[in-house]
Amino acid sequence: MTLSRTDPVGLAVFKSATHSVAEEMGAVLRRTSFSPNIKERRDYSCAVFDGDGAVVAMGDHMPVHLGSMPMSVRAAIDAVKMERGDVVVLNDPYAGGTHLPDLTMVLPVFVEGEATPVMYVAARAHHADVGGMYPGSMGLCREIYQEGLRIPPVRIVRGGEVVRDVMALILHNVRTPMEREGDLMSQIGACRVGAERVGELIAKYGVARLRELMRGLLDYSEELMRAEIAKVPSGKYEAEDFLDNDGFSDEPIRIAVAVTFDSGAGSVAVDFAGSSEQVRSSINAVYAITYSAVYYVFRCLLAEDAPATAGLMRPVTVIAPDGSIVNARLPGPVAGGNVETSQRIVDVLLRALALAMPGRIPAASSGTMNNLTIGGVDPRTGRSFAYYETIAGGMGARAGADGVSGIHTHMTNSLNTPVEALEYAYPLRVRRYGYRNGSGGDGEFRGGDGIVREIEMLGEAQVTLLADRRVFAPYGLEGGGAGALGRSSLVSGEEVSELPGKCSVAVKAGDVVRVESPGGGGWGLVR
Amino acid sequence: MRVAIDSGGTFTDCVYLNGGELKVLKVFSTPERPGDAVLAAVMAAVGESGSVPEVRHGTTVGTNAMLERKGARVAYVTTAGFEDVIAIGRQARPSLYDWMRSPLPCVVTKELRFGVNERITAEGVVLRAPTDAELRELVAAVRASGAEAVAVSLLFGFANPVNESKVAEALSELGVHVSVSHEILPEFREYERGATVVVNAYLAPKMSGYLTALEAGLAAKFPGASLGVMQSSGGIVPARLAAREPVRTVLSGPAGGVMGAWRVARAAGFEKIIGFDMGGTSTDVCLIDETGPQSTNEAVVSELPVSAPMLDIHTVGAGGGSLARFDAGGVLHVGPESAGAVPGPICYGKGEHVTVTDANLVLGRLDADRFLGGEVRLDVDRTREKMAKGNRGLGIEGYAEGILRLAEAAMEKAIRMISVERGHDPREFTLVAFGGAGPLHACALARALRIPRVLVPVMPGALSALGILMADVVRDYSRTVMSSVSGDSDLQLLELHFDSLEAKGAEEFREEGLTGESERTVDLRYVGQGYELNVAAGEGMMEAFHALHRKRFGYADTSRAVEVVTVRVRMSARTEALDLPVHLVREGDGSQAVVEDSLIHFDGGWLESKAYDRDALRAGDRFVGPALITEYSATTVVPPRCEVSIDTFGNVVIEVQQ
Repeated sequence: MTLSRTDPVGLAVFKSATHSVAEEMGAVLRRTSFSPNIKERRDYSCAVFDGDGAVVAMGDHMPVHLGSMPMSVRAAIDAVKMERGDVVVLNDPYAGGTHLPDLTMVLPVFVEGEATPVMYVAARAHHADVGGMYPGSMGLCREIYQEGLRIPPVRIVRGGEVVRDVMALILHNVRTPMEREGDLMSQIGACRVGAERVGELIAKYGVARLRELMRGLLDYSEELMRAEIAKVPSGKYEAEDFLDNDGFSDEPIRIAVAVTFDSGAGSVAVDFAGSSEQVRSSINAVYAITYSAVYYVFRCLLAEDAPATAGLMRPVTVIAPDGSIVNARLPGPVAGGNVETSQRIVDVLLRALALAMPGRIPAASSGTMNNLTIGGVDPRTGRSFAYYETIAGGMGARAGADGVSGIHTHMTNSLNTPVEALEYAYPLRVRRYGYRNGSGGDGEFRGGDGIVREIEMLGEAQVTLLADRRVFAPYGLEGGGAGALGRSSLVSGEEVSELPGKCSVAVKAGDVVRVESPGGGGWGLVR
Repeated sequence: MRVAIDSGGTFTDCVYLNGGELKVLKVFSTPERPGDAVLAAVMAAVGESGSVPEVRHGTTVGTNAMLERKGARVAYVTTAGFEDVIAIGRQARPSLYDWMRSPLPCVVTKELRFGVNERITAEGVVLRAPTDAELRELVAAVRASGAEAVAVSLLFGFANPVNESKVAEALSELGVHVSVSHEILPEFREYERGATVVVNAYLAPKMSGYLTALEAGLAAKFPGASLGVMQSSGGIVPARLAAREPVRTVLSGPAGGVMGAWRVARAAGFEKIIGFDMGGTSTDVCLIDETGPQSTNEAVVSELPVSAPMLDIHTVGAGGGSLARFDAGGVLHVGPESAGAVPGPICYGKGEHVTVTDANLVLGRLDADRFLGGEVRLDVDRTREKMAKGNRGLGIEGYAEGILRLAEAAMEKAIRMISVERGHDPREFTLVAFGGAGPLHACALARALRIPRVLVPVMPGALSALGILMADVVRDYSRTVMSSVSGDSDLQLLELHFDSLEAKGAEEFREEGLTGESERTVDLRYVGQGYELNVAAGEGMMEAFHALHRKRFGYADTSRAVEVVTVRVRMSARTEALDLPVHLVREGDGSQAVVEDSLIHFDGGWLESKAYDRDALRAGDRFVGPALITEYSATTVVPPRCEVSIDTFGNVVIEVQQ
């Protein structure tokens, strides 16, 4: 009998205790970091792992990190023999990372008398710049070497002391080294707080009991997922959707999925066979991203308080063809896989699930994070700057409710940067920030509206846009209409020119970039 | 004669000083017209004495209007192009993994959002000012919208208020309440500031109507009477100001309890306390150290950020009425769903689902016959019968113990969050338990957190009113300045900001016939960070900042540049201290208060114990648990080996054995 049956109370108490460790780590990171990405937008995740690197608790942070955090921990374990007081840093998407701006720190927790760590804690954060061709490191590249500094798992802290060589190497290759150093220290701080709390758990429970509880938590999560999957009729459900293009050509990129439920076994296979080959542009997703997207969708089928552990995914198999858009190989560039392709994977998967469980699945949401990066030299200080933001869109309508307007959906939940915080920090002026009226799809329940955002440059700058749903609109369900396509433009004096969804352009002082994000799809026929 | 009145759902509590003696009385609340009960209480307190009452009031009028979303029809006026910011918020969704959930609708609907053609920069430079024609159009549009109140918050209005003042002046001809951001909250972050101003306007008509009527009612009965209101910050503010800035009194009710717990504990010799107030649906915890109650500017009420100063009270959705359930994986959950007043717990006779209160009852921790002074008889048989089913093999007692452990785990987490996670060591604190269910769980929690002592204050039913009676008159002023603190000129600039805030404060206090003392603080951060820490201004503030940063977040970097984000001035006028009544301490064992022998379930077994009537306990009585101490509004559970003593004030002090 599983621990959840023999000790349903002890396990619940433990679940709450480990979750609060991850949450506290996140709070430390948020309050001490320097990048707007982390402190204002909250683009980070913190998690607690067992000695095998399986997630036992994850804070309610960024969904796109859900399934990929353990891969970072696994890569760190495989590459570095971690000792007491060490912290490993990495960002290599081909060794446990997701895209280069996401730097992950892994800290092992040891106990007296054991040679290997009994647990790990990890903190991942999206840094505002990691070098490469474009300020902000989020532009279109041909290969990963152009996207920025690629860091394999290496120690950034050894025996409690920061490894100055590694730190210097990183800081030397990024545009905003002061800010980077602050964020890295803040991540180390978050890991240390996590380790301290884990230490308290070890003291409270003892190692043997702790291991039993961690195992129990994984088994329990698995059981929750199997019970949910068993409700779905056995069968194969297929769907496809497209990314507009890779930014260099006009060729649409197909993502296809076949979801096969076996309700008897309480298992499901998610196979992306038939998806396009990887492209020579930054919208490739590594396997970790695809896995995270699938994790997210199945996680949403459970109650909000189900624990986000590795056990949830035991009944779910994810198959992604090697060398495809959903499982890229080196040296494929991947900056946008995390933010754009991940959203489309969710859209495709939801479309298939809508066939399996009609009524429970919303229409497509905006399906792009509208990544906008602006970099250059701040005329006020003479220092270089890199600013990155994502712009929310319309939520897909649900059976029984309109979609919410101007809100982040699915794989991201980052906050906006307050206009007043942004204008203090950067040579930019926000001209407009509001709903894009009428952009939600029609239906018995309407899709949410997108957003219109206009930013004026106060000096010369390089503007990089990575956005999608400019060609293929967010789909409606059950007869509901599609959401409006996204649109981006450059206003220079009287002249307004349309910008492609994915581009990088040099702009001058006084120019205004306008982004109109897509609306969500509608649900049901208009009555 | 000072009279404090706290409006509750059922009772309106009143505490007053009569010839130096502290008196308590209760009248039934009149929820439809809460002022009636307040007046009745004042009349009862003043009686035939002929004194002129100085009334202080803790009110839930604002809180309820927020929770029920029944405020005024508010127009929101902001910089053109940013009308929707108030609805978009921070563009994040409330639950990460629940795509069916929607945020609560914005209190300002689309047709009530208005843009003004104006712009001010971060440096306070006016790029554009609204023309007279534009202002006339705006006023006409707002008038046509039928708005009952207006909130004005322009981008960077705090950096230079000139445009906001123009807009506000133009709108004044409408004759409705106008809240202006540079007056309500001159601090950066447009959504949080805007929402705070909107909440103010949303509540202003109701609060101002309520307070004006109450003041008039008082004046009619007692010429010369004054009225003050408890703010969420724990300070009293004259009613006229409260009517103008109701956003500062949104959490008036809980603030009274915290201040009461603090004053009572301090009188008893305990300076550092953790307040633990557990009710039917939720539990409030807060921490008070040697610097006094902790404040926050980041509260969220009814999904809206309210950035006015508030006591830092952390609330969790676990209370006596929280429901227990098993999930598909077999694990037990408690809350956040609650049985509410209807149907209530199983033991009240109507509920069908197991609650925390039911678990307490079947473990012998509630006296079925003396609950609420015997007014409600708890049905043990019905509860055991229902708990015998669906307990998944845990047995009735095992099930009940599990429920209590989980409820206590949720509360433990809340207390950890305000203590351990902020660098405080719970072993240095006293847990002060109040609310209907606080004393039931306090000792178990203290054990889990290694808190050495529990105090159940005297007059628990009137603690809030007592806190209101003893609170100081306080007004908070602030301004975002966003300046470096590297040179002398920077410090001189700060000085100017402080002077102007203090001048404003002194003026307002003078109008009320009060003399205020000023306390200066600054919100500091490392240049580039997004969150600030508040420390006392002046010499040593940098050292204090680094030290606090290290305590809170585990590191500090003295080589990094620091900036001042916001300067704050707290003006306060001390309330004349009052002595709590004392009783002669005589050694005793409390046996005179024993009402019966009873059985209580602890750690897997039933133990013989005694039930004491609190009202019969005397100062100096000492005894050892297991025991129950029952009183009208609460029951205290004393686990085995914990030592109870009654102090000279009548507080129950329990030394908790680990």
